[in-house]
Amino acid sequence: MALIELKDVNKTYFGAQPLHVLKGINLNIEKGEFVSIMGASGSGKSTLLNILGILDSYDTGEYRIDGKLIKNLSEKTGADYRNRMIGFIFQSYNLIGFKTAVENVELPLFYQGIGRHKRRELAMEYLERMGLTDWASHFPNEMSGGQKQRVAIARALVTHPDIILADEPTGALDSRTSVEIMDLLGKLNREEKMTIIVVTHESGVANAADKIIHIKDGVIGSIEENSRHDASRFGDGSTIK
Amino acid sequence: MFDTLSEIWATLSHNKLRTSLTGFAVSWGIFMLIALLGAGNGLLNAFMNNRFEVETNSMEIWPGRLSKPYKGMKEGTWISFDSKDVALLKSPEFSDVIDIVSPEISISSTIVLGAQHVSANVRGATAEFKDIEKIKLESGRFINSNDERDFAKVVVINSRLAKNLLDDKENYRRIMGSYVNINGLAFKVIGIIHTDEMSSSNYCYAPFEVVKMLRGGSDRVDGIVFTFHGLSSIKENEQFEARLKEAIARLHYASPDDTRVAYIWNRFTQDLQTNKAMNIINVALWILGIFTLVSGIVGVSNIMLISVKERTHEFGIRKAIGARPWSILKLILGESVTITAFFGYIGMLLGLIACQVMNATIASNPLDVGINEEGHMYLYIFKDPTVGLGVAAGATILIIAAGTLAGLIPAWKASRVKPIEALRDE
Repeated sequence: MALIELKDVNKTYFGAQPLHVLKGINLNIEKGEFVSIMGASGSGKSTLLNILGILDSYDTGEYRIDGKLIKNLSEKTGADYRNRMIGFIFQSYNLIGFKTAVENVELPLFYQGIGRHKRRELAMEYLERMGLTDWASHFPNEMSGGQKQRVAIARALVTHPDIILADEPTGALDSRTSVEIMDLLGKLNREEKMTIIVVTHESGVANAADKIIHIKDGVIGSIEENSRHDASRFGDGSTIK
Repeated sequence: MFDTLSEIWATLSHNKLRTSLTGFAVSWGIFMLIALLGAGNGLLNAFMNNRFEVETNSMEIWPGRLSKPYKGMKEGTWISFDSKDVALLKSPEFSDVIDIVSPEISISSTIVLGAQHVSANVRGATAEFKDIEKIKLESGRFINSNDERDFAKVVVINSRLAKNLLDDKENYRRIMGSYVNINGLAFKVIGIIHTDEMSSSNYCYAPFEVVKMLRGGSDRVDGIVFTFHGLSSIKENEQFEARLKEAIARLHYASPDDTRVAYIWNRFTQDLQTNKAMNIINVALWILGIFTLVSGIVGVSNIMLISVKERTHEFGIRKAIGARPWSILKLILGESVTITAFFGYIGMLLGLIACQVMNATIASNPLDVGINEEGHMYLYIFKDPTVGLGVAAGATILIIAAGTLAGLIPAWKASRVKPIEALRDE
């Protein structure tokens, strides 16, 4: 059984003009896969990510994580599922500015009700793995973009989630740091069998994944296996318009 | 619990400006409430202190002059009271209302003791006078009916006169039993009345008939003071005063509707009015104080609302990584309660300190209202400007409760923030 199962998922935004954003998404992602979802803006990839991350609801169909149906959850249950099953990595890092690096990493554990000392210990362990031990007591605005993103990755990993969801994780980084971050995600996937889903519009980023899912106009266009990660690195002409 | 507190502390201490601004609003509100109430109490206490300590259901009546010609009497003719007027008040005609009647006469004189002499106002008093005027004796006794009957040359002086006569502030009570000279006659001091250190009063009391004799034996009285019962409303009092004036007018062959034949000072109605005025001041102070308090509470609510709006993104992040709505609600409520409790407490302390400062400065310095022939006259404008600890604690608890309420709307708004907000760029 696949870790993530999407069956005919539909989502419509009801506004002045109803917008059918996801038109029957069917998708399975196995445990330990490194997948990228690619699409132009307006293709529905952000909506799909929101649904995958239990940040948004969908209208019809079924979405299961590890067999659990994720539908019509209460805010409380949604929060608990996000906390335990999903680790987020955002384009703009989304660290809390008035908390230090280690406090940011601790925060998901705080919401799990884990004690102070245990929290600090675990957070320091993950910061160390990211090579940020010396930066633990620094505030986000004292760090470079790459360091901030690594803090965010530590925060995503610290709860041992089932899935890492990365939304344009390199969008705010220079190309050299982008390579570092993608290598880090690849390493996590290879060495710890972490399931990673990266949403991006950059082919260079998508190329780091083993499987690239193309989404267009609310439907999945093609799924391509990608074994040659160096096929197209960051550079000219690598952006799908 | 501890975690929630440290989380609250972290947020508050990293947003110092916001925290201190909110806190200032709260502290200011509670400080103003306590300082205002303290000042108000100081004023009211001083007012109470300066009031004459007399039987409140008593009246004093003095003769006036005719305001219109009547039966051959010219307009403006002075009338005077004598024993007939006293008898009228004691007569069955007024016994339904009037209890004790005491005529008033006095003579300005000089009291001499050895080489010392002081000017004094010697009042004639009957034994009943003590009950009407609520006279407080420090030592000895007041004039009694035996003194009246025997024309005893005895005098009850006040402590201030005693101190001046002996030129001794400490052991002035040894004047008891001494003989002082008034108008060439020797009077035995039989009692000392307590008088305020600040007051300028220089009166003393001798038996009524004796003072009458000092005045040359005239039957005239300066005024009549009496106690009464059964008049509870202002209207009843006014009706009685009119009835009394009419009887006086009849006695002095003046027009029965001439209201200027006598002046009445009704301590009871004056008291009612004073109490009313004091209640109004009190209520006004509370209203002012509560408005200041409310402005503090509105300040908290306002700043919390703005801060929630500012922190929408932060709450989005928190929710995305697993914060339940309740924990966000708890965080915001906790913040507002912590701010109001802490700064409310500081405001309360400062308010109480302000009351103490007022007590040490204004309250300890009575106002010198000028010099009369006896010396300086002092008046307290401020006395014991304090607020009960109960009121202070109550106000602080109130603002904490209000702080919770003030935080409730912002907290609820914060808990409704959608986690999707986290994905939006700031």
